[in-house]
Amino acid sequence: MSSRLFQLPLLPRHLHAVKSRGTPPPGKPVNAGKHSRRHSPLWYAVHLPQLSGAVETAGTALLLQQRLSKIAEVLGNLSATVSVQPPDSLLFEVRSTLRYFGGMEKIRQQVQKLLELQLQTWGLPMDFHHAASPTPAASLLLARAGHNVLIHRTDNLRSVLGKLSVQALPLPPDKRKQLHNTGLRRLRDIWRLPTHALGQRFGLDFIRQLDRCLGKVAMPLKRWQSSPVCHTAVEFDYPVENTSMLLPHVATMLGTVTAFLQRHELATTHLLLELRHEKPGGEQPSDEWQQSTTLSLDLRQPSRQQDHLRLLLETRIHHLVLPAPVIGLRLEARHFAPFIAAAGTLRGLSEGATEGVAAASQEQDGLHDIVPLLEQLQARLGNAAVRSILSTSEHCPEYAGQDRTFTGKVEARPSKPQADSRPCWLLPEPVALEQNEGKLYYRSSLSLLSGPERIETRWWTGQEVRRDYYVACNRQGMRLWIFHERRGERQWFLHGIFD
Amino acid sequence: MLTPENHQALDSLLHTASLWRGSQQQFSMSRCPSLPSGHPQLDACLPWQGWPAHALVEILSPCWGAGELQLVLPLLRRLSMENRWILWVAPPCMPYAPGLVMAGVNTAQIIVIKADPLPTRTLWSIEKALQSRACALVLAWPGYLSPRHIRRLQLAAATGQTLGILFHQRNIRHSASTLRIRVESTQDALQVTLLKVKGSYRRDSFSLMRGQT
Repeated sequence: MSSRLFQLPLLPRHLHAVKSRGTPPPGKPVNAGKHSRRHSPLWYAVHLPQLSGAVETAGTALLLQQRLSKIAEVLGNLSATVSVQPPDSLLFEVRSTLRYFGGMEKIRQQVQKLLELQLQTWGLPMDFHHAASPTPAASLLLARAGHNVLIHRTDNLRSVLGKLSVQALPLPPDKRKQLHNTGLRRLRDIWRLPTHALGQRFGLDFIRQLDRCLGKVAMPLKRWQSSPVCHTAVEFDYPVENTSMLLPHVATMLGTVTAFLQRHELATTHLLLELRHEKPGGEQPSDEWQQSTTLSLDLRQPSRQQDHLRLLLETRIHHLVLPAPVIGLRLEARHFAPFIAAAGTLRGLSEGATEGVAAASQEQDGLHDIVPLLEQLQARLGNAAVRSILSTSEHCPEYAGQDRTFTGKVEARPSKPQADSRPCWLLPEPVALEQNEGKLYYRSSLSLLSGPERIETRWWTGQEVRRDYYVACNRQGMRLWIFHERRGERQWFLHGIFD
Repeated sequence: MLTPENHQALDSLLHTASLWRGSQQQFSMSRCPSLPSGHPQLDACLPWQGWPAHALVEILSPCWGAGELQLVLPLLRRLSMENRWILWVAPPCMPYAPGLVMAGVNTAQIIVIKADPLPTRTLWSIEKALQSRACALVLAWPGYLSPRHIRRLQLAAATGQTLGILFHQRNIRHSASTLRIRVESTQDALQVTLLKVKGSYRRDSFSLMRGQT
């Protein structure tokens, strides 16, 4: 029993026998305290001031985000834990990969090589600051202050950080001035003062910030994660001319994609299917892939349901006219969203207990139910074919009713109840009415039922509307909404049909 | 002229179980779920006491806009207020939201599928909408129809348990729809004629007062 206990702490010594500092002399007993210190993580911070500088001139925060992500991706080759520290720094843990890369110096060379290559492609200056220490906060502070140092042990942090100016601390200007006025110039000046008094004077956040640097308090870090990439491809042995022959392959590929989405707890909102064609001439095998038909499928709601996606893709493929035989397929999921499982009721619960829950979610579910149908219709008829209608508080009839591409439920705004009648159909353009011997005609002679309702508006647009609206009826029993223009040629027009 | 004796004899005959009466068939149909049409006169004439909920209905009118929407407005009002989805497939022009709001319809529940240049695509959309159980009502203006199409749409409505209402002008005989109605309108009344009611021999014709516009 005791021998087993004794053996366990020996195991890590063996693992870390090869270190940047060299192997410990054989036979020398390993101090347990020293041992744990060696196992503390080592955080490497990189500070690239040119990134935020370049973006200020370019004026886009998005570009900075993209560049930081790109560098994080590059640094992902050196460490499993990378964290982006906006606006211009990155942190990564190197203790775990120290042995693999062969020491700190090798890692430093790698970082320099990778970063310089990346900065060169962007046309930015290639200098940067870096520092490594056992705490992420200290590494970040040192790198940002421009001290390229390496600290192995937590004990040494205090002496190195003590030399830093208090101005290096990320503090608001008034705090900085306060520190300066107190006569505190360097961090070691601060540490000479009692903590309790400091806390009272500069606040608890300030104390915590310093404690994070020394590793007394952990610093929360957001781990950077690469965006998922998901695509799959099939190559056929022979050219396929019939779209129905493609469907089984598409179903298989969708299986791969949905399995990926399930593994990553994701759902997709955009699928891209590429059908690669044989070149009509087909002489050069290398040119074979040049022609392709792409089907892009946008989804209203993120989905990873294989059946639903297959139905949508099949609808698109069924009605596709192939310009040439297909020799390969490629399916890619483009945009991702976190997967949210639909709320369901537990079986075995009594009807009464679930009733309230069901009623509460009914309104949300209403949209949930109809989305698959609308997506199917859009897949064949086009996105613009599915419209929702809404009324706005506009005086001019043409603008009072609008239609737009359906993107979700439109909240019906309570509009002012109108005293005058409005038709259920409004013609896209007013139709000029025939006039004969003072009588108006639309299919047959019209008789006025009610009116006039005067509408005068939009004088500010230069296309003034001055009309008198009437309700009229023809011999077919159609109830019509007609107007008499009060300007220009004073013509009569048909504008709407009641029901 | 019925004498009291004759009357008694007739009554006893009518209570005989072996006597089959055509008009009784409507009782079996009345068990089908229905949606009140909002017009008491129409409800009284239909064996379901309202629109048949899982079936196809044809409304014929001499021309578009001759008051046929008046027949379905109460239903539109009720379903839209219950937050159920209503699809308008290929209407002759865009429905005007202020007019519908004035009629008491919640336009947020209305989705319009624009007419496609290809009539087959429009028919396909109607079929898919009817098959899906997501919407409560499908109003459709198919440009072209044949008995075969109507049969397919009727089947789709039964599968999807959706009420489909087709608006068109041609009276297609032997169509498979459950209910076929002709609407003709005058200045202040709507003349409704039942051309076909599945499960009933009644061919009533009555007039409804048009709502105030």
